[in-house]
Amino acid sequence: MRSRAAVVACAMSLASVSMQAQSPPDFSGVYRPVNAFGPPPGGRDGGPPPGARAGGPPAPGQTLPPPTRTAPLSDGSRGRAPNAPKLKPEYMAKWQAISKARVAGDSSSDNTAKCLPPGMPAMMNMAYGMEVMQTKDKITFFSELNDALRRVYLDGRKPTQLVLDDPTYAGFSTGHWEGDTLVVDTVALKDNSYIEGFTPHSDKMTVKERIRFLPNGMLEDRITVTDPVALLEPWETVKTYRKADKGDDQLREFACAEGIDHAK
Amino acid sequence: MRLRVLVLLTALAALPFEVPPAFSHHSNVAFAVETVLLAKGVVKEFRWSNPHTWLYVTVDDGKGNKVEWAMEGRAPGVLLRAGWTPKVVKPGDEVQVYYSPSKDGSKVGMIARVTLPDGRVLPNAPPND
Repeated sequence: MRSRAAVVACAMSLASVSMQAQSPPDFSGVYRPVNAFGPPPGGRDGGPPPGARAGGPPAPGQTLPPPTRTAPLSDGSRGRAPNAPKLKPEYMAKWQAISKARVAGDSSSDNTAKCLPPGMPAMMNMAYGMEVMQTKDKITFFSELNDALRRVYLDGRKPTQLVLDDPTYAGFSTGHWEGDTLVVDTVALKDNSYIEGFTPHSDKMTVKERIRFLPNGMLEDRITVTDPVALLEPWETVKTYRKADKGDDQLREFACAEGIDHAK
Repeated sequence: MRLRVLVLLTALAALPFEVPPAFSHHSNVAFAVETVLLAKGVVKEFRWSNPHTWLYVTVDDGKGNKVEWAMEGRAPGVLLRAGWTPKVVKPGDEVQVYYSPSKDGSKVGMIARVTLPDGRVLPNAPPND
């Protein structure tokens, strides 16, 4: 009798462990990007020297050297990075035309400067911070930059013809769990956004992501972009985010249209 | 003659009310981001707004003229993390502004860093950004 109770207890315990192993991780929280603009040199130069506190005075005897730039160069004048998406000639010509305009100071190619959402997959740079909200049936990714938002449906729904005929900047995303990894497919993307930087794409672009926690606690998004019209081959990139520290875990409203009066 | 005086008076009357330079949203490509210059001047207005903040500074051009510059800053959310606040810069403050000039030659710059009258340094990026 006693041994039977022990067997039952043991079985229940195993079932509990098994259920825990099957429940997906919770990605909810606020995150900051790690190298949002790619590997160095990609950052800005107006910042404080290493170890200095933002907004504080220079340490006694310390003289800050003048900054050498305000932002990374983003006009393509140094060509395309070796790891940039490989474009077919027609799309390379588009990129070159945009680059020429940007070198001349023309901002018209910059969607975010026009308050448009960055779109997928560029929005996953999450340069100003990201908030993830997760339920059993849906994960919502929010970007402070341009108050951009995307939803990943986990309830088994599929993109309908109506969805496919109605492309958007974030696209239509469905996901499922493979162990601890969230696998996401995104379709129905508008063709006037960029893959990264100002790399153009067609309306045939689709995006696949594998999102998981790394052993060090960071969140990783492995992104594969497929576009048989614009790309010579699928393009892969990896974004990494760290959980925001206490006190830094609050995103601010962006309200881009607030600045519209400046345009008059 | 009378008309000419009227025109002149009208022009003079308009001067003090000249609005600060107003600009459309810029992306970084509007500026020579790898050129950084220093302007010293007096703050006229600080606009804490998205998608860019604006610091209007009256600068002595060294020839006895007061010239107004519009210095574009990053979004409030980023600047908060870099140590700025909506009231950290006030009209009348004497500031030093490191900036990148506009490519079109207008008196618009993009802020790299601002030094306040008390020596505090306001960078354009949070630490480790």
